[in-house]
Amino acid sequence: MAYTTFNRNMNDQMKEPMFFGNSVNVSRYDQQKYPIFEKLIEKQLSFFWRPEEIDVSKDRIDFQQLPEHEKHIFLSNLKYQTLLDSVQGRSPNIALLPIVSIPELETWIETWAFSETIHSRSYTHIVRNISSEPHKVFDDIMLNQKILERAEDVSRYYDELIDGINLYQRHGAGTHVLNGETVSITLRELKKRLYLCLMSVNVLEAIRFYVSFACSFAFAERELMEGNAKIIRLIARDEALHLTGTQHMLNIMASGDDDPEMAEIAKECEEEAYAIFMRAAEQEKDWAAYLFKDGSMIGLNKDILCQYVEFITNSRMQAVGLKARFSTTQNPIPWINTWLVSDNVQVAPQESEISSYLVGQIDNEVDSGSFGDFDL
Amino acid sequence: MAEVIVNAQAPLQYDSGQRNLLDFLEKQQHSLNFQCREGFCGACRCTLISGQVRYLQEPLAYVRRGEFLPCCSVPASNIEIEIPK
Repeated sequence: MAYTTFNRNMNDQMKEPMFFGNSVNVSRYDQQKYPIFEKLIEKQLSFFWRPEEIDVSKDRIDFQQLPEHEKHIFLSNLKYQTLLDSVQGRSPNIALLPIVSIPELETWIETWAFSETIHSRSYTHIVRNISSEPHKVFDDIMLNQKILERAEDVSRYYDELIDGINLYQRHGAGTHVLNGETVSITLRELKKRLYLCLMSVNVLEAIRFYVSFACSFAFAERELMEGNAKIIRLIARDEALHLTGTQHMLNIMASGDDDPEMAEIAKECEEEAYAIFMRAAEQEKDWAAYLFKDGSMIGLNKDILCQYVEFITNSRMQAVGLKARFSTTQNPIPWINTWLVSDNVQVAPQESEISSYLVGQIDNEVDSGSFGDFDL
Repeated sequence: MAEVIVNAQAPLQYDSGQRNLLDFLEKQQHSLNFQCREGFCGACRCTLISGQVRYLQEPLAYVRRGEFLPCCSVPASNIEIEIPK
């Protein structure tokens, strides 16, 4: 019941469900119930980057020359992303580690959250470069009503799950009177909160980030703020991997192979899942209106960005087995894909910025043909 | 050489000079959604109606039965596919 950092039960980890089984004891990867999570870890590690590797000094000059309404677009997006990664850098660890039951998934969660902390640090790197008063940018996050409205929705499902886990692990299932207040929790309710939390995380990573990605790349299309765009490309690549991880968890749950009760819950929560997607899409459209309130930028305006939100929401819903709800079928900003390709430039691998460079990578594939021109 | 039928149109001859099905389809003027082009984001998911594809690298993205990722695969037989709208 209560969490233990080293569970003494001699359990068979291959028979544990992803969540709410025995807590993990030995971190071992010689046997894996879901090898996909180990593959995601390896991929994420191969993506490793540091913000300092990217030169953003030219962005300072670009930023000073931007008209005020474009400065507003740029800074607002950075603030919003800072909020999102503040949540994502800690919440998977706090919410999911106490309930995870298989080692490869536990390590994936840690690897995932760690990479979000790099994103957070990269925002400071960018802001320090474009502003001599970085504190003003960060201080405003806690004051800006538009951002705080979003914080409410991105953190709510995490908070409800964490609250339920605390109650369950401390007092067990049932109704309890705590400090004069009657509270109740069941394992099924917890599973439901977990499912909805993962759905909301998927929305965060798959939709919420993309409005701001689109703006960053629209600047870079005009050869402005290119250092920033390089960083955003690395972040976008990481996020694409994270959302694949979350989609795997959701789809494994919905299949019921892992925990039959989870499949029932997935069905039961379908309408709420739709609601999470639709609400996020509406909020992102509102955000687009806020970004462009004082004027559009070249190549991007509120309407185009709203169409993009609809397009991407459709595609993300389909990825987790829901049906598309918007009529938009075409990507209104196809040029964004070029920026999202994980490696569309061939660079010498020893250059620090080439993203696919795997340190210590060795080609192990040797067949008899390799010795074709070899004589003794 | 494998034939590729896209959205029930006339069959196309797969050009082995193409690195993967996504490159091939784009060269044939089909517009597909894509992102990573490495099999981990799943943005280019298409439906495989008949035939088989061979993965050049195992996709990391979640692929349901009856779907495949053109960005990291080549045809292993004549195939019929559908590009989602």
